Amino acid sequence: MNNSRISYYVEAALWLGLVGFLYFHSFDFNREIEIYKYGAAAWPRAILILMAIAAIGQLIYNITRANRVEAGMMASAMDDGSEENARDSGNTGLRWYLHTALLVALPFVYINLPKILAGTSDVGSPELNRYKLICAGVLAIVFIILAWRNHVGAVLALPVMFAAMLQDIGFYALAPVFILGVMFLMGERRFNWMAAIMFAIYTLLMLLFVKLLYVGLPTGYVRPFYDFGTWVVTVLQ
Amino acid sequence: MDVFALFLQGTVTLFSDPIGILIFFGGVVGGMLFGAIPGVSMLTLAAILLPFTAHLKPEHGIMLFSVIYCTGVYGGAITAILFNIPGAPENAPTAFDGYPMTQKGQAGKAVGAAVMCSALGGVVSCIIMMAATAPIADWAISAFGPPEIFALVFFGLAVAASVGAKTFWKGWLSILLGLLVAVVGLDPVGGIERYDFGMPYLLAGIHFIPVILGFFAVSEVFVQAEKKVTGAYKAPKISVDFPSFGELWAHKIAVVRSIIIGFFCGILPGIGATLAAFMGYNEAVRWSKDRMEFGKGKLEGVISSETANNAATGAAMIPLLALGLPGGALTAMMVGVFQMHDMEPGPLVFINSPDLVWVVFAAMFFANLSILFIGFLETKTIINLLRIPFQFLAPMILLLATVGAYAVRGLAVDVIAMFLAGVIGFFLRRSGYSVAGIVLGLILGKIGEQTFAQAMQMLYFEFGGFFGRPIALGLLIAGVLTLAGSIYGAFFKKQPQSQSQPQPQSQSVS
Repeated sequence: MNNSRISYYVEAALWLGLVGFLYFHSFDFNREIEIYKYGAAAWPRAILILMAIAAIGQLIYNITRANRVEAGMMASAMDDGSEENARDSGNTGLRWYLHTALLVALPFVYINLPKILAGTSDVGSPELNRYKLICAGVLAIVFIILAWRNHVGAVLALPVMFAAMLQDIGFYALAPVFILGVMFLMGERRFNWMAAIMFAIYTLLMLLFVKLLYVGLPTGYVRPFYDFGTWVVTVLQ
Repeated sequence: MDVFALFLQGTVTLFSDPIGILIFFGGVVGGMLFGAIPGVSMLTLAAILLPFTAHLKPEHGIMLFSVIYCTGVYGGAITAILFNIPGAPENAPTAFDGYPMTQKGQAGKAVGAAVMCSALGGVVSCIIMMAATAPIADWAISAFGPPEIFALVFFGLAVAASVGAKTFWKGWLSILLGLLVAVVGLDPVGGIERYDFGMPYLLAGIHFIPVILGFFAVSEVFVQAEKKVTGAYKAPKISVDFPSFGELWAHKIAVVRSIIIGFFCGILPGIGATLAAFMGYNEAVRWSKDRMEFGKGKLEGVISSETANNAATGAAMIPLLALGLPGGALTAMMVGVFQMHDMEPGPLVFINSPDLVWVVFAAMFFANLSILFIGFLETKTIINLLRIPFQFLAPMILLLATVGAYAVRGLAVDVIAMFLAGVIGFFLRRSGYSVAGIVLGLILGKIGEQTFAQAMQMLYFEFGGFFGRPIALGLLIAGVLTLAGSIYGAFFKKQPQSQSQPQPQSQSVS
């Protein structure tokens, strides 16, 4: 009971925090438009004010009706079991949220840290690429250590990590690792199956998008992954 | 020329062109498959295909999307019934009775009813669409200005907020969050950059395709992944048992009612088929003598929602083609197809390219009809999809989404944005917010702000000016009444203590 009360306040605080932050930044573009008397900031501000009202309304509703169960037809129909599921799995504590936030933050470390270390953001720079490889390796180990205790958080973070590395390492080299990672985190342990499925999905995607539809997927900038990516494309096309 | 002759002409044009035939059948099968496979939807397919439509003729591109729309709305019913995962929000109410039927071992009957009712609702809707769109477009040219379109957007959002989420407040917070995302980028009047925080990516505005992919495909996988990891994922019982025609005939009133409701809801901007399915279901519960049976696996629940959502597909084309206003995520992508060919959807399409309109109309008619034939065959294949363990499907879905998001603009940042939207969507869903509402707000936000600004300029910044425009005023009042109705419902209506049966929610949609 007490716990859910805290979560109501946290929820309201998150919304109001977002409103406050964006309202503050609406002064950045609060400029006059000659032909439009309300200016550029009026519309977002109106949205933010309504949002604050709705967040407070939601808080009051939660506190006053905390014991009642919402049983609207729409509410039940929209229910996909994700809430119940979250409660059942026990992934609702503050510790779990912090742990997951840490995992999801790792990709952003990868995006920013090598640039800071190398002092350049020029994609052609070999020094930057070296730092990127080192960072990728270190973060992969950190990721595995953190993921060990929190598979659900890792499932959320792995695709973001994959996306963050996509431009550098390339789709062709990264996809097999990603396929294996997702399967492993979702509880698959039969390694023969994992290898077979990985091969099947990879082949299917390559035939469909590279051979048939000529989608230009990122080949990566960092060697040797770049060479691998271009090799796959040359073989298929 | 009368409607029938135009329809015949469209049919001949469609089926005399081998490439057109190929695209038509590709769309029919693709829409069904992507609607059916859990975790992907017709939106995933449409998003992946969107960049490639640049290489097609405009009529083929729009035709492909409209065919995917018709069969995808049906395909989504299958995952709703079998997995309790609506392929799209349009199928959410189908899951409400369809999934309990699956749990009772009547999955085959539910799917069979969905096949027949989808085809029926879609075909009837198409016929009305063919007869009505051109006159409405004629009327719209003179009657609809920015104030009317703004009022239409407001009304659509008011309805969407009231029906989408767990509570009235969460519904509004979802819509407002979407509207806020739409604000990022350049403002539509003065071109002033907003909330770009110095990043060129944000300056261009957040593209709706990565957001849609993130919310509908990726967060779906995450929700399933949590079930899988924690062992809560249940495989349903499988059986094939189609309903008899007698059983369907017994529900003829439900079918007719849902077609009417579905069609009128489909015309609404932004929510179209989703509202149609909910309202169709809602009315079925309200009119029924034994309401207590709903939500426990009643065939009428599946029939009323599936008829209504396909009935909305034809209707949703009316605002798109007659007013240039997208009726949902997929019709918004159609706007993208138009724009890639330097065309604007709207009443002028009828004058400039009547061929396109009638090829699309004919294709939609035959796509709905083909649900009947391919639907029965394909259902057996789809039941086999249940046997694929989700951990094998998940990486495929995520990689397809990756390619889709990347292919839109060739930006890896779009992929990051998509997966972040997936993470955010996952947490919002866990807290009872409506991801569909957010996407709706995102799509309609730009149009809403733009038409509001234009309306205000037209009316010399006097809000009283709306009183001089009866259509706009009527829509605004309808929107306010919808809001008032749901506020009343949220505060004053007695809330039942148990969650076991559905309660029809009172809505003043006038």
